[in-house]
Amino acid sequence: MLEIKNVSKIYGEGITKVVALNDVSLWVNRGDFVAVMGPSGSGKSTFLNIIGGLDCLSSGEVILEGKRIDNLDENALVDIRRGEIAYVFQQYHLLPSLTALENVLLPLILCGMDKETKKASDILKRVGLEKRAGHKPSQLSGGEQQRVAIARALVNDPSLILADEPTGNMDRKTGREILSLFEQLNMEGHSIIMVTHNPEIAEHAGKIIVLQDGRIVSEIKQKERKQ
Amino acid sequence: MKLYQLVAKDVVRRKRRVLYAALGVVIGTMTVVGILTITLAGQARVYNQLEKYGANLTVIPAISNLDMKLGDLSLGTLTVGENYIPEEKLPEIRQITDGKIKEALRLKDQGDIATIAPKLYVKTQVDGKSVIMVGVDLEEESEIKTWWKVRVGEYFKQADQALVGAVAAELLKFNMGDRIPLNGTDITITGVLEETGSNDDYQVFVPIETLQKAFGKEGLISSIDIRALCNACPVEIIADEINQNIPGVRAVAVKQIAETEMGMVEKMSKFMLALAGVALALGCFGVVNTMMTSVHERIKDIGIMRAVGASRNQIIKVFIYEAIIIGIVGGILGYVAGTLLAYAIGPLIFEGTVVTYVPKYFPLSLVLATLIAVIATVYPAFRATRIKVADSFRSL
Repeated sequence: MLEIKNVSKIYGEGITKVVALNDVSLWVNRGDFVAVMGPSGSGKSTFLNIIGGLDCLSSGEVILEGKRIDNLDENALVDIRRGEIAYVFQQYHLLPSLTALENVLLPLILCGMDKETKKASDILKRVGLEKRAGHKPSQLSGGEQQRVAIARALVNDPSLILADEPTGNMDRKTGREILSLFEQLNMEGHSIIMVTHNPEIAEHAGKIIVLQDGRIVSEIKQKERKQ
Repeated sequence: MKLYQLVAKDVVRRKRRVLYAALGVVIGTMTVVGILTITLAGQARVYNQLEKYGANLTVIPAISNLDMKLGDLSLGTLTVGENYIPEEKLPEIRQITDGKIKEALRLKDQGDIATIAPKLYVKTQVDGKSVIMVGVDLEEESEIKTWWKVRVGEYFKQADQALVGAVAAELLKFNMGDRIPLNGTDITITGVLEETGSNDDYQVFVPIETLQKAFGKEGLISSIDIRALCNACPVEIIADEINQNIPGVRAVAVKQIAETEMGMVEKMSKFMLALAGVALALGCFGVVNTMMTSVHERIKDIGIMRAVGASRNQIIKVFIYEAIIIGIVGGILGYVAGTLLAYAIGPLIFEGTVVTYVPKYFPLSLVLATLIAVIATVYPAFRATRIKVADSFRSL
């Protein structure tokens, strides 16, 4: 489904040059749950941004469903963000002026499907927030905001969900709840790539890759872990 | 929910910032509306003053003087045409004048509109002194000569009364109540006019019928002064129409004074509008600045929208919708502030001017303000689309 081939990302030049990713390659199958781990500054978020077309790479290829997406123009990338890939961020990144329901509706508004309010409220119900639909982000707890962000990611039914430390700002209990939501989504067939610091969270993934200094230093599958 | 509703919600959340952005627009439109309102009030004042100059159309008999020559020998001058206008042409002249005014103003009123004041000039002798007697229509003349003030006595009301010009009264030693013999008819002086600085000072005014009867000129008029009702009345068109349709008369439009005065007002208006243009440009610059700040403040929101599927065009739309809201708010406030400005400084620029608010400037203010806001937003909006999503999150 997703193939990352020899991807490098270099910021700056000369003495300011920083190699964020160095010749990274990875294969993700449909329905995979991949956890990306590594110390701060190891290139985890850059890796996720490049997969989703939010950042451009310096060399290499990103192939989604057999199609290169790293060299696509802006409009084609917009199409991918509207259908195939969705994001969940550590900081939730909800629009503060909109209610929970409106935030979930936002991707549909941008696609011109602004009348699909029922779809948005159904998804909000799925993440257990139907009673909080009219609340603004500032009136919701961290866990609730992340659920709204997950609902927003789901509203376009993406095949791949990219999550950047989605439980990073939460207590253990809330983090677990969010994680179980991701597991459910994975079981329903959504592929998930999740950046996390937390080994406990990563344990739930089918595959763990560890990045260090922009390189994949280890790639462990669940079966191998069990053995 | 549509994209513009989403923008409206965001504007409500950031209302202080939006009002601050609107301030630039308000300053620009306030200056324009203020200047236009003051100019309009000034023009109205000049028009009113012009009206006091009297007739804006004069109809005289069409007389041609021909120099008669036989080789190098001059045989004198031959006058062709009548010296008087027959009175029966008055209704015809009124019909043309009122018709053209109604046409220009789109009036359906059936009544008389223009003031048409016929005159008869007769040179005669009173106590051995030469006097110009002017026969006038009492009512129409008082409407034309709005600047006339009776110094002594009162305005004449009856057929056997006369009004004397200031200089004539002095030279001929006329006093109130004096009787002037007029070919057998005696008329009484009922009033003496204040000095006007015009020919009126040397003349004696009597009702036109009295003069016609006394000198056997029944049904004859020397000239007609016409004052149209409005400032924008088509006096030149009326003159042409009279000249083409009524034989024996010549109508002349009196526009020189009006043109000179209005020319000055127009020059002043242009200068003030140039100032307003500068204010608009400054306002525009202000909006560019605030919108650039707004883009910077909203990098995260722009990043979020891009990450969830907003295209560059949609980001531009978000800013343009916001600009339209700023324009509408700025237009309303600019109109109110501009009108208040006109009320405050209008009377200082055109002394004695009564400033009134001009409703037609309200839509103008809205359009102008929206235009400035949109133009000023194009560049910041374009900049917003250039922000990389990853950078927008990294910058937090």
